[in-house]
Amino acid sequence: MLEKKTKIYWLFILPGCLFLAVFMLIPLFSLILKTFFNESGSFSLASYFSLLESTYFKQVFWRSIRLSLVSTMVCAVLGFPTAYYISKYSKNKGVLMALAVFPMFTSPVIRSFSWMVILGKKGVINNLLVSAGLIAKPVSLLYNEFSMVVGFIQLFLPLMILSLIGVMDNISEDLNLAAGNLGASPAATFRHVILPLSLPGLVTGSVLVFTGCLTAYTTPQLLGGTDTRVLATMIYQQAMSLGDWTQASVVAVVMIVVTILVSSGINAVSRKLNPTI
Amino acid sequence: MALLELQNITAGYDNNVILKDLNFQVEKGELVSLLGSSGCGKTTTLRLIAGFSNPMDGTFIFDGKDYTQVPLNKRNFGFVFQSYALFPHMTVFDNVAFGLKMRKVSPEQIQKEVADMLETVDLKGFENRFPKEMSGGQRQRVALARALVIKPDLLLLDEPLSNLDAKLRVKMRVEIRRLQQKFGFTAIYVTHDQEECFAISDKVAIMNHGVIEQMDSPSAIYNHPKTEFIAHFVGFENFLDLKRTEEANVYLAADGSRVTVTEGKEGDALKACIRPEDIQIVPAGTDAVNPLAGEVMVSTFLGKRNQYNVRTAVGEFEVSTDQESVYKIGDQVVLSLTPNKIILL
Repeated sequence: MLEKKTKIYWLFILPGCLFLAVFMLIPLFSLILKTFFNESGSFSLASYFSLLESTYFKQVFWRSIRLSLVSTMVCAVLGFPTAYYISKYSKNKGVLMALAVFPMFTSPVIRSFSWMVILGKKGVINNLLVSAGLIAKPVSLLYNEFSMVVGFIQLFLPLMILSLIGVMDNISEDLNLAAGNLGASPAATFRHVILPLSLPGLVTGSVLVFTGCLTAYTTPQLLGGTDTRVLATMIYQQAMSLGDWTQASVVAVVMIVVTILVSSGINAVSRKLNPTI
Repeated sequence: MALLELQNITAGYDNNVILKDLNFQVEKGELVSLLGSSGCGKTTTLRLIAGFSNPMDGTFIFDGKDYTQVPLNKRNFGFVFQSYALFPHMTVFDNVAFGLKMRKVSPEQIQKEVADMLETVDLKGFENRFPKEMSGGQRQRVALARALVIKPDLLLLDEPLSNLDAKLRVKMRVEIRRLQQKFGFTAIYVTHDQEECFAISDKVAIMNHGVIEQMDSPSAIYNHPKTEFIAHFVGFENFLDLKRTEEANVYLAADGSRVTVTEGKEGDALKACIRPEDIQIVPAGTDAVNPLAGEVMVSTFLGKRNQYNVRTAVGEFEVSTDQESVYKIGDQVVLSLTPNKIILL
């Protein structure tokens, strides 16, 4: 009787599973599958070898990784104290949470355009620096790795803050007091109690930010230049401009593999710091 | 001189004053309980002593030094939380070792002291467990071990047994008392459970609305409450107003009945109280000491005993008796107040 009932509950997730299978899993696997065969239809890894040997790809690949890692780290450093303050000390938690999430209400396109206004040759920052006499000529802040990282951080910092707040809210104030009572200074309490207990949030946040940065398309397309292409923009270039769908698929597979590797890497490190995660 | 002294402490937050002009002393080696209903300020007092919050006004003297502004991590006090507050990401060993690590004790020494302490609280072999893998009683003992291993100058316990089932609670309170007597540490114990507090303490301080109403040995509080609040708290259900007469130890109740009391007390108008089990109930017309005529309003069967609510000319009385004869609602009876059980407030 009971068994039948539990079986029925599977029906609830059926629509979602069907949707994902038809619109995600099947296209994804057909895409992956295609990359392992050459034009004559026999199994071959040729497209992978030719891609991995290309210096252009290597450049793009390492730039993607580097920018994503830097953005993730900056988001962690900026997001941690912010989240901690909002979770533990603020009196207007709701307002601050809304402010933190506010950037997510506009599309990445709009946000990228506003960064163009701010960072451009005639933008706010250059005007300020020139009129203050700090620089003689406007410096180029746009269409380079710097502007891309700035865009990524603004885009993904809310995800980091939200993941951290979710976890920090569950750290009992008593633990903080217990550490102090046992003789820990505020710094030691942070190091031994707050940080390890916040790790699950830091992990979730980092995975979200990293994969977000790695796969983001609009921001690097608008804020990056032609010589600062990343994997996502390279896929577009291969598929749309060059019409090379196989090559684009190979890059996409590489991107998926990197995402999985980095996520499990971050997980492994955090499990070492806090074995109960 | 007292080991710990709170002098004219006022505390609270914003406009909400919880403790008002509180004075409190603890002697070295004593286990003192703070007893009171929720919101009376007992936990606030304990947290203030631990340094979790600062008083708005007043001084906290410990061992002759002014501790009012000493930060919590510089006070060598152990604290056992109601929630235990064990670090969930650390093993039992690391939890207990935490205070020693913060004190920069050598690893070998830590190894030895933690092992000894875990043996004392009967948790040998649990070193590598995580708190979530343990039962409530075991966690409680880890919390106790963690607070004791630093050899605190003072142990503070905040309702440490309230999350345990009744049987375990009795076992653990004996355990806490045993450890306290073994190590001779001074302890302050916050609880709302009267039985627990009387069983464990050298002295009990009963708090009400941010002040200590009475601080005495458990038996003194039980047998000689000083205020009506405390009398209520320790089970005196019946109160009556008395007026002094010319005769020694004889008083008049409001309706003019004579009441003989063995205990003397100053003052002309007094309030007297008596426990339900110290009143005898007999049929109307029977001769009795300190008789009060009345009518049974409610009769409750409690197994071993019967409880009656009896209306008399001076108010309603609650009587608890193990007599076999049973009175029904509406029966006319006489209540006899045992003279040496009447307490004058």
